[in-house]
Amino acid sequence: MTRAPQILVFTTSTISDPGVASAGLMRLKYPPQTAIIRVPCSSMIRPEWIVLAIESGFDGVFVAADGTDCPYLRDCTERTARGVEAAQKILASRGVEPERVRMAAVCSVCGEAFVRIINDFFNALSRLGPVRL
Amino acid sequence: MQKILERAEAAGEQLSYDAVVIGGGIAGMEASLSLADMGYRVLLVEREPTIGGKMFLLSKVFPTLDCASCIATPKMAAAARHPNITLWTYSEVRRVRALDRGAFEVDILRKPRFVNESLCTGCGLCEDACPVVVPKELDFGLRGRKAVYIPLDTAVPRKAVVDIDNCILCGQCERRCPAGAIDFTQKPRVYRVRARAVVIATGCRPFPAELKEAYGYGRTPNVITALQMERLLAPTRPYNAVLRPSDGREPGNIGYVLCAGSRDVTAGNPRCSQVCCMYSIKQAQLLLGALPLADVTIYYMDVRAYGKGFEEFYQRARSMGVKFVRGRVARIEGLPNGDVRVMYEDVEEGRLKSAVHDLVVLAVGLLPDNEVLKAFEGVTIHTDELGFVKVDPEDPVRTNVEGVFAAGCITGPKDIPDTILEAAAAAMRCAAFLKEVEARQT
Amino acid sequence: MTGGGVRIGVYVCHCGGNISDTVDVKRVVEEVGKEPGVVTAVDFPFMCSEAGQKLVEDDVRSGRVNAVVVAACSPRLHEATFRAAISRAGGNPYMYYHVDIREECSWAHEGDREGATEKAIRHVRMAVAYLRRAEPLSKIKAASERSVLVIGGGLAGLRAALDLAEAGVRVYLVERSPFLGGNAARLGALKVFPYGRPAIDIVRSLIGKLVGRREVTIFTNAEVEAVSGYIGNFDVRIKVWPRYFKGKCAGDLARVCPKRARDEFYFGVAERTAILLPPFEGAYPDIPAIDINLCDRCGLCAKACPSVDLSQEPQTVSVRVGAIIAATGFRPYAPRNGECGRGLPGVITLHELVGALNKFGGIRVDGRAPESAVFIYCVGSRQRRAGGEGANEYCSRYCCIAALDAALHLRELLPGVRIYHVARDIRSYGVNELLYEAAGRLGDVFVKYSEEAPPRVERQGDKLVVRVRDVLTESVELEIPADLVVLVTGMEPSDGTAAIAERLKLQRGPDGFLQEVHPKLKPVETALGGIFIAGTAQAPRGVAETLASASAAAARAASLVLRGYVELEPFVAYVDASKCNACEACISECPYGAIEIVRAGSREVASVNEALCKGCGACIPACPNSAIQLRGLTSAQIEDMIRSALGHGRSA
Repeated sequence: MTRAPQILVFTTSTISDPGVASAGLMRLKYPPQTAIIRVPCSSMIRPEWIVLAIESGFDGVFVAADGTDCPYLRDCTERTARGVEAAQKILASRGVEPERVRMAAVCSVCGEAFVRIINDFFNALSRLGPVRL
Repeated sequence: MQKILERAEAAGEQLSYDAVVIGGGIAGMEASLSLADMGYRVLLVEREPTIGGKMFLLSKVFPTLDCASCIATPKMAAAARHPNITLWTYSEVRRVRALDRGAFEVDILRKPRFVNESLCTGCGLCEDACPVVVPKELDFGLRGRKAVYIPLDTAVPRKAVVDIDNCILCGQCERRCPAGAIDFTQKPRVYRVRARAVVIATGCRPFPAELKEAYGYGRTPNVITALQMERLLAPTRPYNAVLRPSDGREPGNIGYVLCAGSRDVTAGNPRCSQVCCMYSIKQAQLLLGALPLADVTIYYMDVRAYGKGFEEFYQRARSMGVKFVRGRVARIEGLPNGDVRVMYEDVEEGRLKSAVHDLVVLAVGLLPDNEVLKAFEGVTIHTDELGFVKVDPEDPVRTNVEGVFAAGCITGPKDIPDTILEAAAAAMRCAAFLKEVEARQT
Repeated sequence: MTGGGVRIGVYVCHCGGNISDTVDVKRVVEEVGKEPGVVTAVDFPFMCSEAGQKLVEDDVRSGRVNAVVVAACSPRLHEATFRAAISRAGGNPYMYYHVDIREECSWAHEGDREGATEKAIRHVRMAVAYLRRAEPLSKIKAASERSVLVIGGGLAGLRAALDLAEAGVRVYLVERSPFLGGNAARLGALKVFPYGRPAIDIVRSLIGKLVGRREVTIFTNAEVEAVSGYIGNFDVRIKVWPRYFKGKCAGDLARVCPKRARDEFYFGVAERTAILLPPFEGAYPDIPAIDINLCDRCGLCAKACPSVDLSQEPQTVSVRVGAIIAATGFRPYAPRNGECGRGLPGVITLHELVGALNKFGGIRVDGRAPESAVFIYCVGSRQRRAGGEGANEYCSRYCCIAALDAALHLRELLPGVRIYHVARDIRSYGVNELLYEAAGRLGDVFVKYSEEAPPRVERQGDKLVVRVRDVLTESVELEIPADLVVLVTGMEPSDGTAAIAERLKLQRGPDGFLQEVHPKLKPVETALGGIFIAGTAQAPRGVAETLASASAAAARAASLVLRGYVELEPFVAYVDASKCNACEACISECPYGAIEIVRAGSREVASVNEALCKGCGACIPACPNSAIQLRGLTSAQIEDMIRSALGHGRSA
């Protein structure tokens, strides 16, 4: 039996975490093979953490970014993207598919968008199969 | 109890507060907390043995479907332990006299619980020991309670109380209590309290459904009120299932009759009760969750989904498959097998029709719980023809009597978000009044 | 290794079945009880109840536990509740991690007991890993300004400003337009049901009480240009546009101005000049202003009145406040051309009807009083977005009642008029039902249409015709001839509301209105500490509800600033000086200028100003040595959470 992909999700306390919670409020379904870490703002995520997640057994990492709703930074998206790209480069250099790391802005009421993205990501990771490090 | 209360003795202490808040439901708690946060000292008086009012009896609340307990219980806990709030439960305001501007004298009767609150741990062993079973008010009679009981698991204070009218004085609870908290020697006492302002937050009572005779409530077992359904759906519910009363069967086909005792001159209430459409839509959604195969039909005249997020919530119910039939229900009658026939005028098809349901829920309206207004002496709090307290258009929490404010359903039926806003507003206006009184005195 | 003496208690909530119907809470307790550092793990029906909180308090008070995990609902609801419980018991409130196993678990994975239970276990394990490296923290205490900025001088702003002033708080009230009063003043003589008092009376009375109070400073024709700082200490820059008037003028000054534009005060049904006169008796301020965008500086007015001063320049005022209330209001929905006959002569919006009644004391179509009027409800409201470009899904709450109010007013003016109400539902909630009942009694006809078959408005000869399938009469198509068609339109967030959301970084809901944190727990609070919302900037509502929400926002702001100090969460950045080599990489990353280089003994290191740091963490990835860290969420904690999630790397 193939194991379902495990996804680490980074959320932000005031924007995307309420967004993910709103999916639950609306009883929208997504795979439970998800683990969530809340950070204040997605710009704080160090690329090493994403790499560590893959090394620790996660099949993919999703960064639910603040986007333009970020209460701290106007250029939050650019900053977060820098970290995600850096992580993708490190992973690629070790032969891990960079598409195992995704980011998208999830607003505080965007439960439907989150579920669409995470389901799609889950399916993509299922097709990729397990990480070969 | 009546006899015991007649022998109430006056307490010697002279107590004084900035404000006395009457009623410990969501409005009274919110008003007390807001005043206390602004630095004022509040006495919160609740008639029942627990605060929480109607809200903590509810299941989940629209339009976010939060569980009502999760919103109400932390506020109950916060009100109970705020350093600026003194909480008196099981206490009644007997008399309010306006002595001067910003000076009220309030007589409050503290009824005996016959349980020492500081010793009781709320363990519930007394309930196990008590041999007397009576219908439980907080479950609207759906299940029983003992003569000594803890009102609900979520009660604040979570302490036992002896219902002395039903107690047979067998003493079993007294022997069973590990803390020695049962105390039959407690006496009622009347406290005379000075306050600079008063907030009335005594809320509402449901329309007595039996007054609408054509709907058969009280005669037809499977016609229940929405408050009873609320208890059947609540996490602290009686049976842990939705069952119909006559035979304990799970209903597969449930009808909701809106405007039961509202918008109805013959029932004495021409007004709309403002919350029934939404709570019915909410219950319908919860029922579809609890009984996935059930059909739910709502008989309505207008769906009043007017607040923030309400229309979206209504549309969600439609898309979940709740049936909405535009029609006024004329009669409801019980059938021999326990089912219930609803006769209604389907306005969209323009004819009289009938339908049979396993269970019918009456969306009863709200009337004011304004008993306390009689306690005012020397001044009259103005009310409208239904008994709701009248307020100032410029300041919708101010009554006609200076220093007396009102918030929540006592000024008109309203939902929880509006009640909370109004209660905070009453606290604000009360604080402004207190400030002005202070300035004048110095 | 379990870390230096961390004794963790795990408390798993059933939420009365909301969680335990899906998550096997017993298994969660059993599994996480095996984690190193965990000394107790229990489940309970309602952790947020007093009894539930007591479980935590007792364990902390006895010393058995010094770090706590509660797995329950969203942290937005109860994180603060349990931190407070730990404090009460003498523990450190930051030795705490709140795990959401309801919104982010049981509710999202209903029907998958195994999956949801595994996820709950995973999340609690991560929380335990976090706490193994947690350290006690304390709040940052800062003095708070005893003043509040109220943005918006409409009904909500006036009420909130007056409340605060009366409670002894210094208030700065900023209004965008040249006069106070907002939309409520524009309702004019229309009475507010059920009070029988015109809206403008209420506005006038509030203005009268507010003006001249020593606690209050009013800026009209002014905008909030920039806000910086944090709860208790906001620096606000206000731009005050010139009125070009030094005082009042005698005579009819408006006549000398040759320019013309639609008069907004009457919802565009009348014309005005470039000289804006106080629009009603008791308006504030009582001196005119010039609409400089319309004015071509011809100078005619200056010749007519010595008070005109076209040389005035905009001014910038800076103030410090402890809290902010955004009461920036709504604008009426503007129907598209062709929407329900919009554009045809004789078709107007409800707001335009109100404007006409106030301006002209009546309404005329083609110079004649209308003999029949049709009110079409829900124009632009309660529409599915697909195909309804620009229309709104929400109900605007006040419009049914306002339409009934206006119809009764119309009937008073024109006793013989035939009035039809073409509606989906009449939402005259509460006491407003009496208004609906009165309209019916006076002969108004009610027709109900369904969403699928909206009414159509056409012009036939010199008459308008409304075609509608009436669901009350077996859906026969009615043809209602009308002289006047009134489109009952709802509320949308005002331009000022959109602008202030952008400027203050406030969240807006899917409907575009300002978003509260929670409709019952934090109904006037925003995600940003110290910033509150009130009135129709938050949601469509009527006069009484607007006033209540304004006083509620004032109550929250007052309790914040009257204390004189605020306590801030300790989650700010700090620098481990031993690892810092003063490369300054973090300094350029910080959007708040909170990091600077300081001397520490013999060398230079970066240092964080805690009052300026907002704790976003943007500086964290910049540091090549991991010297800069976020208090309460260090790299080491995040790395341990990642390692522990899937059950490996437990002894990191």
